[in-house]
Amino acid sequence: MGQMRAGALLIVAALMAATGAAVQAQGPPKTLRIAVGIDADTLDPAGQTTTTVANMVDYVYETLVRADYAAGKVAPQLATSWTVSRDGLTYLFRLREGVTFQDGTPFDAEAVKFTFDRLLDLKTRVPLRFLVDAIKEVQVLDASTVRFQLSKPSPTFLSNLTYTTTAIISPVAAQKIGAANLVRDATGAGTGPYAFKEWVRGTHILVTRSPSYWGKAPVFDEVMFRVVPDAGTRETMLLAGDVHMVMLPPAPDVRRLRQNPTVTLVQAPTDRVIFIGLNTQWGPLRDTRVRQAFNYAINKRAILNSVLFDLGTVVDSPCPAGMFGHGPVQAGGWPFNPIKAKQLLVEAGYPNGFEINFFTPTGRYIQDFQFAQAVAAQLRNVGIRASVSTMEWPSYVAEITAPPDRTRLQMFVLGWAWVVLDCDGVLFGQFHSSQHPPRGLAPAFYANTQVDTWLDEARTTVDVEKRKTLYRDAQEQIWNDAPWIFLWAQNWYVATVKNLEGVSITPIEKWDAIYATWK
Amino acid sequence: MRAPLGRYVLRRVLYALPTLLGVTLAVFLLVRLIPGDPGRIIAGLLASDEEVQRLRIELGLDRPLPEQYVRFLAGVLSGDFGLSAVTRTPVIVEIGIRMRATMMLAVTSTAIAVAAGVSAGVLAATYHNTAVDYSVMVVALGGVSVPVFWLGIMLMLLFAVHLHWLPAGGIGTPAHLVLPALTLAAFSTAIVARMTRGSLLETLGLDFVRTARAKGMGEWTVIIRHALRNALIPVITVVGLQFGTLLGGAVLTETTFAWPGLGRLLVSAITARDYPVIQGIVIVFAAMFVVVNLVTDLLYVTIDPRIRYE
Repeated sequence: MGQMRAGALLIVAALMAATGAAVQAQGPPKTLRIAVGIDADTLDPAGQTTTTVANMVDYVYETLVRADYAAGKVAPQLATSWTVSRDGLTYLFRLREGVTFQDGTPFDAEAVKFTFDRLLDLKTRVPLRFLVDAIKEVQVLDASTVRFQLSKPSPTFLSNLTYTTTAIISPVAAQKIGAANLVRDATGAGTGPYAFKEWVRGTHILVTRSPSYWGKAPVFDEVMFRVVPDAGTRETMLLAGDVHMVMLPPAPDVRRLRQNPTVTLVQAPTDRVIFIGLNTQWGPLRDTRVRQAFNYAINKRAILNSVLFDLGTVVDSPCPAGMFGHGPVQAGGWPFNPIKAKQLLVEAGYPNGFEINFFTPTGRYIQDFQFAQAVAAQLRNVGIRASVSTMEWPSYVAEITAPPDRTRLQMFVLGWAWVVLDCDGVLFGQFHSSQHPPRGLAPAFYANTQVDTWLDEARTTVDVEKRKTLYRDAQEQIWNDAPWIFLWAQNWYVATVKNLEGVSITPIEKWDAIYATWK
Repeated sequence: MRAPLGRYVLRRVLYALPTLLGVTLAVFLLVRLIPGDPGRIIAGLLASDEEVQRLRIELGLDRPLPEQYVRFLAGVLSGDFGLSAVTRTPVIVEIGIRMRATMMLAVTSTAIAVAAGVSAGVLAATYHNTAVDYSVMVVALGGVSVPVFWLGIMLMLLFAVHLHWLPAGGIGTPAHLVLPALTLAAFSTAIVARMTRGSLLETLGLDFVRTARAKGMGEWTVIIRHALRNALIPVITVVGLQFGTLLGGAVLTETTFAWPGLGRLLVSAITARDYPVIQGIVIVFAAMFVVVNLVTDLLYVTIDPRIRYE
């Protein structure tokens, strides 16, 4: 009896020792598990539309050049150096030698030509084709030299080549997989640090470390992206230890996660500017003073702090900080001054305010529906009675793409982000009169011929200083015309287990965890 | 007996055809009635107008509606539901991948619901108006009332975060199945328990039960062998309906537990305006309901020989 008890104790002790040892001797897990909010729509670089999907594709495929966000410039990747002709129409790239695709075939000039010819082929689905539409022809000079001939000068061309859409595909792998199947199969097709292994629809995407990678080898043998659509579930899975990193846990939990000793919250500002568009062709909003009054009426800092848990930075210009050409118009953002707002409304002939409808999506941007209600409450203080309504995203898109004679928009929440860090994306996309719906997506219907001229010139000249001046003028003019209530640039964030280190967030809403380490 | 059964099944299947045809037309029109242009949704906000138009042409959305419908119907009749507008994968493949997960969850939670629900119902009826009865009914009331996403999160917090016994979400091992199946079974179990109790109480008051008791049979034999069998017909109806609903409607549970089932696929297809996938899933759901109803009706006969095929 006594012996039995001793034996049982021994077993228990051994078990405890074993589990204790397991806890202590945790080396890096073989598979790094990351919970993402959406399943991929396509693995084909050419078909990319969403940064989170592009983020996963980046593990497998690489572009000629990459964005060095810290230095604010374009850095070498598959191309080691490049020269640009004086007229900005010819780009000559020297390619990195000794690089092979994961299928073992060499990366060379032919692969580059194959990739870009495919992007320019109208039969290929390329939603972001504007990134490459300046290219007239790609010529192979020798195995490691490629020349791009442009049809028009494009100041953002080099930056455009940093985006996943233009990542280089192995012609041999593409042939083997079948061009149409690149959507769901990337076996051996990229040069990236990880090779594609499997994609189980709605469940996960698995990549394994590529033994032939030309650059520094990452720590983890495999990376698994698990599809977890619910933000609360992602957070729970992190806390339960099912995954090591999650994108965007629920915003209201961010403060609590920051205090959790087992979790690291990684966040950074991005280029996504959140604004309330004012339909400049609707009723009272045709008057600039009314639109300025709307800006004075809103305490952005207070809303950012109490409703968005400080997950953003108030903007000081229509183009957020960190973009090429950004020039602060008003330090600290548009001042909060309800007295001035009321005064402007009186001047414009609305001493008793007016009623306005206010559309917002729900769950598209951080706390969107919630902050819209805070904005409506503050507008009420100056006599503007805004009624907030929301709808699911595709219906919302139908609203914001309606032509001016049919639009129901009066004021509306929208977030705008571009894939390269240049003011052209937001300024041309949102304020050039050619971009009014249904042609484009500038539903404030802002029109100013002077601004149009500046923006046209800025996207065709390659003179860096001149572009800066043009953008500075445009930002100032737009700010004063106030076709938006200028709010904030949104942060992007992930939460990781404490052991995972070296994860960062890029300004285009991607995480960078390829060289993450385990402690 | 055998000949009527075959003819009966055949007739039921034939009756279902106009229903399914109606479903194809309804779903085809409904997806096109809700606002939102698939070209723009799939290409994204940053895509140029030209790319959006190109996508519309690729998806055949530039064709007149009657032509689109005829093409779609012809495809369905030959077993081809088309390609997903988003992933360009055959819709039938997309559905097939999710069907396994959905079946696994629906079958498991229905099994739990039947086992637990019938047992609880029998206990409650047997000990009618005692503490046992009241406890079962209170728990059942809770099961019917509690929202699945809340129950799901609570189970997750307890079993995954605090106790570390089970994974919080996802699919893979049998352990992954436990929490979503329990969550999903809560409502059905409660319904089945209430239905069993009510039906059994009614039966226990009938003459043949008194006869059985008078013959001197043990109380449990009377309840299980005689009364329960007669009380099961409405229970089977409820289980059949519940199972049909679980096959198609477990969206919340699937989302909460990151379970890759058909419900979630349907929701993501709707938010992407992926017409072919929406159409395919709705037709599959309709067909499954037809089958489940047929099986339920056939089960009646097995349970109660007095019921005959007409």
